[in-house]
Amino acid sequence: MKLLHWTRRFSRRGFLTRSAATAAAVAASRGAVLARAQEGGPRSLRTEEVRTLVRFTRDLFPHDRLDDSFYQRAVQPLDEEAAKDGATLELLALGVSRLNEWAQLGGGKAYADVEDESKRVALIQRLQLDPSAPADFFHKVYNTTIVSLYNQPEVWPRFGYEGPSSAEGGYLHRGFDDLHWL
Amino acid sequence: MPAKFDLNDSSVVVIIGSGAGGGTLANELAQKGISSVVLEAGKRIEISDFRNDEDAMFGLFTWLDPRTASGSWYVAQTSPDLPAWICKLVGGTTVHWGACALRFQEHEFKTRTRYGSVTGANLLDWPIELKAMEPYYDRAELKMGVTGTHGIPRLPVSNHGKVLFAGAKKMGYTQFMTTNMAINSVPRDGRAQCQQTGFCIQGCTFAAKWSTLYTELPRAEATGRTEVRPESQVLHIEHDNSGKVTGVVYADRTSAISRQRARLVAVAGNAIETPRLLLNSSSSLFPQGLANSSGQVGKNYMRHMTSTVFAIFDRPVHMYRGTAQSGIVMDEARLDTQRGFVGGYQMELLPQGLPSFAQNIVPNAWGRDRASIIDNYANIAGVWLIGEDLPRETNRITLHSSRKDQYGLPIPNVHSDDHPNDLVMQRHAVGQAEALYQSIGAKRTVFRPPFPSTHNMGTARMSDNPRDGVVNRWGQAHDVKNLFVSDGSQFTSSGGENPTLTIVALAIRQAEYIADQMSRSAL
Repeated sequence: MKLLHWTRRFSRRGFLTRSAATAAAVAASRGAVLARAQEGGPRSLRTEEVRTLVRFTRDLFPHDRLDDSFYQRAVQPLDEEAAKDGATLELLALGVSRLNEWAQLGGGKAYADVEDESKRVALIQRLQLDPSAPADFFHKVYNTTIVSLYNQPEVWPRFGYEGPSSAEGGYLHRGFDDLHWL
Repeated sequence: MPAKFDLNDSSVVVIIGSGAGGGTLANELAQKGISSVVLEAGKRIEISDFRNDEDAMFGLFTWLDPRTASGSWYVAQTSPDLPAWICKLVGGTTVHWGACALRFQEHEFKTRTRYGSVTGANLLDWPIELKAMEPYYDRAELKMGVTGTHGIPRLPVSNHGKVLFAGAKKMGYTQFMTTNMAINSVPRDGRAQCQQTGFCIQGCTFAAKWSTLYTELPRAEATGRTEVRPESQVLHIEHDNSGKVTGVVYADRTSAISRQRARLVAVAGNAIETPRLLLNSSSSLFPQGLANSSGQVGKNYMRHMTSTVFAIFDRPVHMYRGTAQSGIVMDEARLDTQRGFVGGYQMELLPQGLPSFAQNIVPNAWGRDRASIIDNYANIAGVWLIGEDLPRETNRITLHSSRKDQYGLPIPNVHSDDHPNDLVMQRHAVGQAEALYQSIGAKRTVFRPPFPSTHNMGTARMSDNPRDGVVNRWGQAHDVKNLFVSDGSQFTSSGGENPTLTIVALAIRQAEYIADQMSRSAL
């Protein structure tokens, strides 16, 4: 059968972005970001912008069982791409500033500091509808982080998923038929 | 050892594609002493390249060349540039298939006779009946080692299967079992038995699952009569003034263009690329596309009625453990128009690993409700509903009017509108699946509309009549004697069963016919 990715508009570039979500690639890109910043090249995302994206990603995929470190790793591919690609940086920065602008107007706080989840949810709903929001921001963050969040092997045991099995001989002797509650 | 043929050797059969159809045909011909060159667009990888990693394997072997989709079907809305999930590598989609190996039923070969005239459908009986197919189904099952046939034991029941079968029993169903699978339940044919890894779709690391990559193709090569050329994408099929095909033009990995001459060409590129190639091979002699005097090339595209129902329980299931799709309920596969539709459907296990489940469960949704489904991942079971969809002339593969691929050829567009019969069947199937899981205490069920199609059929269909079909009962083009179609494009109806076993059976049968015709110098 058929599983991955078909819910997203597919592009080769999109796939490359997703495949870059490995720890090694992320680590390497962080080095690149720092190097470019020191050279005075295009800026990368600001810490405050990353903090907003982490909060936003958690609001899209809110799992109380996952601490923020998982969401931080999930937004790293965005950070990495923004460091390399000015258009992505602009898109993300604009989306974040729009969210913060609306949040400030509504309660005098930045998006990431709004404590009431339902208020943040309302801001995301507005983001999807309001023509003044950058049209691709939501999809960019959604399509990237839905992969980079759930593809972290460290996430899997938190949901009871055991991951690769071939190296352990499959599940033949490890519980493929151990269900007895029926 | 693998053969090496000269580009100007016009005695060879050229086979385009190395999956269930092309790979099987190559080996069957080789065993009969017939030489072939297999041109495969994708790379050659080995079993050692398989990883238990959904994302990585998707990237490694999916056919990602540009395509577009249109029409009312769900996939055109949610995945317009990936309408089908099929593979581009040596072995084709047999590397990734779930290995459910079911025969079509008697009535599914006679849809026009048995269903009557259905408005908006282009029904036609196959020019062959189940009875004529049975010896070839036997041979396909023995070749592939299909469990539950010919004394080959069935696979054991997984947790996921136990849940499905408990619900089936409550529903009063009687035909449920681990599926007829082309996966070894015991060591057989030089391959290991299934280790219940759960990663069938990502390539079987134990080679317990039949795939042409490590069965048919190496065996064909061992005869010294078959050459497999990976990364060789065919662009055109050429013909002479008499209308016989003479060879193919293809691009290799460096995009260098070569011309392989041929005595006969067999096209097995799956039901999107096969008609695309025929349409892209139009000429002054064949202005509508090669072998298309009927106008049916690309039409009658079928992809099965599909949907998935997942169910959340309050205790663990661990659906990802074990042979992915080994579990089936067949009671709804019968023809019974009292249900409000023609044709029938199968209910087959469909587990997903956490990453793909989380990414696909509710497309484009976000927030607490969606997250709560994923939070229950360990307690979830899922069943895939796959039923017959009806051929329609307007459901078709066409050449895109403006977009071109890297070789300057028009990319394919896949157009499909659901027939009302498909939608009635879908509602019935989803309702039955929900009731099945609720009958054993599911807390919640989640409906998942169709994924991109892995079953693609009908776009160069069989008919005895050259006016309403592209190929005859042997898969031989009506218009071009030495051109064959060897994949699911030949199907006159889709049946309610996974297509691979029928593709393999047809390839075995076609090889016999080709060998016979060659021995009489008729080809």
